[in-house]
Amino acid sequence: MNAKNEYLLLLRGTEWWGNLTPEDLQKTMDQVKAWFERLTESGTLKAAQPLAREGAIVSGKTGRVVADGPFAESKEVIGGYVLVQVRSLDDAIAVAQSCPTLRFGMEVEVRPVAEECLMTKHGRQIMPEEQLASA
Amino acid sequence: MSTQTKNGYMLIFRGTDWHKGLSPEEMQKVSEQWMAWFKRLTEQGRAVAGNPLEREGKVVSGKNGRVVADGPFAESKEAIGGYFLLKVDRLEEAVAIAQECPGLPYGVRVEVRPVMGQCPLASEATPEAQLTEATA
Repeated sequence: MNAKNEYLLLLRGTEWWGNLTPEDLQKTMDQVKAWFERLTESGTLKAAQPLAREGAIVSGKTGRVVADGPFAESKEVIGGYVLVQVRSLDDAIAVAQSCPTLRFGMEVEVRPVAEECLMTKHGRQIMPEEQLASA
Repeated sequence: MSTQTKNGYMLIFRGTDWHKGLSPEEMQKVSEQWMAWFKRLTEQGRAVAGNPLEREGKVVSGKNGRVVADGPFAESKEAIGGYFLLKVDRLEEAVAIAQECPGLPYGVRVEVRPVMGQCPLASEATPEAQLTEATA
């Protein structure tokens, strides 16, 4: 589906661990650690990082509007990402399905990494090739 | 607003249909500006990774991950179109970079998020329990 076969898994949901007992928390951490180890050993994992809950949102025509963010409800907020290299979207979905924190209500958005900027692609579709400079 | 992190920041570009009203020339101009921006940040050592994302994808949820839906569901102005990973130390610096985004005049919004060194679960649990930082 994409040249590099890379897929970005966006882990949605933060603070879902608030009600876990220390034992459940420890168990879940161990499972997450084992999950990453499996993905690393199979050569699937390219990168993964958690994101802090705070941050900022920059908007407005000249970027002058800087608000504390993210605004979304905690179940929508992106808590981290996992970049994987697999053969197909189905394989990327299978990796997402093996995420140990789904059972706490976390959702995983699976997005193919694009080969090029979508505007460039769209531009090519609506403009003859020769009119597009080396983009 | 003075969060510091040695792990850098992620810029998440929100908005996926904002370019639809542009002429092909404008679209090419913005696209070139965006690529030049990323190239400059990379050369300065301030950007370490970045990718555009395809518009379509899937959302996996449910206790066993059995629910697989077409996604993203979010409105196109909220949907994520791509991301950069920045190697800068201060939120102010990451925000200043976000303010240079060539998509802002067209309605793109940039979410700036500090990257954490360890899983947030680990900081909730025992201090010695640390999740291996899984960066390849």
